[in-house]
Amino acid sequence: MRLENPYLAEECVIKGSRRQTPDVYTYAISYPRGSRRLRTPFMPGQFIMISVLGIGEAPFSFSAWDDEKAIFETTIRTVGNVTSAIMRRGEGQRIWVRGPYGRGWPMEEARGKDILIVAGGIGMAPLRPVIEMVARNRRSYGGLEILYGAKTPEDLLFADEFDSWRSIPGAELLLTVDSVPRGTKWDHGVGVVTTLFDKIRTEPNDSIVMMCGPEIMMKFAVKGLLAMGFRPEDIYLSLERRMECGVAQCGHCQIGPKFVCKDGPVFSYSELRGLPDLLA
Amino acid sequence: MRGMVVPKDSLGELVSKLSDRYKIFGPKRKGTEWIFDEVESADEMDLRYSTTILPPRKFFLPTSERLFSFRMDGRVEEPEEPDIPALIFGIHSCDLNALLLLDAVFSSGQFPLPSYVKRRERTALVALTCTEVGDHCFCESMGTGPSPAGGYDVLLTDLGGEYLMESGSRRGDEILALARGREASKGDFDRKAEAIERAKSKFKRRVDLRDIDELFLKNLDNPIWERLGEKDLACGLCVNSCPTCFCFDVRDKLDFPMDSGVRYKEWDACVLLEFSQVALGGNFRRDRSARIRQFIGHNLGWGGASQFREFRGKAKCVGCGRCIRYCPAGIDLTEVLKELRGA
Repeated sequence: MRLENPYLAEECVIKGSRRQTPDVYTYAISYPRGSRRLRTPFMPGQFIMISVLGIGEAPFSFSAWDDEKAIFETTIRTVGNVTSAIMRRGEGQRIWVRGPYGRGWPMEEARGKDILIVAGGIGMAPLRPVIEMVARNRRSYGGLEILYGAKTPEDLLFADEFDSWRSIPGAELLLTVDSVPRGTKWDHGVGVVTTLFDKIRTEPNDSIVMMCGPEIMMKFAVKGLLAMGFRPEDIYLSLERRMECGVAQCGHCQIGPKFVCKDGPVFSYSELRGLPDLLA
Repeated sequence: MRGMVVPKDSLGELVSKLSDRYKIFGPKRKGTEWIFDEVESADEMDLRYSTTILPPRKFFLPTSERLFSFRMDGRVEEPEEPDIPALIFGIHSCDLNALLLLDAVFSSGQFPLPSYVKRRERTALVALTCTEVGDHCFCESMGTGPSPAGGYDVLLTDLGGEYLMESGSRRGDEILALARGREASKGDFDRKAEAIERAKSKFKRRVDLRDIDELFLKNLDNPIWERLGEKDLACGLCVNSCPTCFCFDVRDKLDFPMDSGVRYKEWDACVLLEFSQVALGGNFRRDRSARIRQFIGHNLGWGGASQFREFRGKAKCVGCGRCIRYCPAGIDLTEVLKELRGA
């Protein structure tokens, strides 16, 4: 029997891109249906490996997908070789994708419960499919409260969708930024995301927290939530680590006995407590 | 219990027969050390070797290996695997057990690595009960030696003037059929047990594995890591010489004139600074203390049974002692463990 080479990726086409912030773009990517190297459906919070041949490969979360149109979206900050190469590729150009990998957000456990989302900066990207999933299956979930912080107002992703998020029945969106440049109109909070915590209406019992952002933000957010009575097993975090394979072989993403690519990237805080090399 | 006893001087004939079917790799003297290298006859091998410089992992996970080739127009070609069957002659118990851990990473997961699986399948393993216990060895404490419990095709045990040959697989039966000797008796197996006991009495290092995962996780903030971090040169010799270290980088390389290239994997090491670096210079193990803690913690603590279900009751470390032997800073994981236990 011939084994499938897990490192072979599927050829996909960039259908378009939207500028989100000065260095973040959301790319719409069409994929071939029925591919073994790109297995659908994706689950919110999973990740994919995207590569540009000759440049390299890197892990990314996807920020939306539409299985009927066979298109997914990924929101990428241009910071290195691979991300710059993706940005330079325009509409109609090819990139290579394999996945999805890992364990995503606990959408099953969250059924019937209230959901509290805490996002920082680009950390909103893997949480956007959660908001869409709740909107599409509104009766399966309880309340939806979204806390979102970024450096400045122009660093907030998906700002053009905020009104539609607010219009989801029972949904609340609270925003904050670290600083507001002179001359920018801003009616929301100023300060780190935890400054929004006294406005949280989600009750700690019977709710699930989903969080993604810089690890230093998550450290303080977890601390705040625990103090409010949220249980460690109800607080879920999505972690970023170096990944070269996505399939628990290259070893880079290990945290103690866990492979972030296989056992995560989404973990409950109770699973992470006491493990090495966490900022939290 | 199926076994044969063969006179030592008939080994040459056996190896010569085996070389018709297999490309043979065995322990060869190199200066004051030994290496696993290709051999054509039994005379080239030194079966009274202690530990080779590099473990046989290099045959299954080469330092650098092509994952696929590509052309810039998108055509992709998978590497062709050479189909020559190979045989590793005289692999010690520690290094054999190391392959069983690598199997958990590369063969039995959800995404097996075809090149590894194929090399394992087509490579026969003739193991050797270790009688040459070195100063740095502690396989007995790790439950991985000096004689293997399984995982081999053939197991050889030196009984003095002859070898006891046991088969562990159908391929092993075929190899035994090529040998010239007599059926082993109970007395021969008793002599094997004695040889193992003699080897066991030579160990100078012992480690205590009780509740070892918790021990390491409880001691993440122990000042010992800071001290080791100051000593550590972060050179990577420990990782490169480790029979179970499996980490690698994935890179792309373009060929001139940039219309084609390869994606390849290459050994990497957790003790190196760049290993845990992410975008924008973030690094989850920036300090050497965190990196040496990862190497030792992964090997003795959380890297065995807690990481791989198949590895019940075992650590990632197989006790070969290479990392101790080659560390230019004199870092010794068995001493670190003793200190953590407060001994």
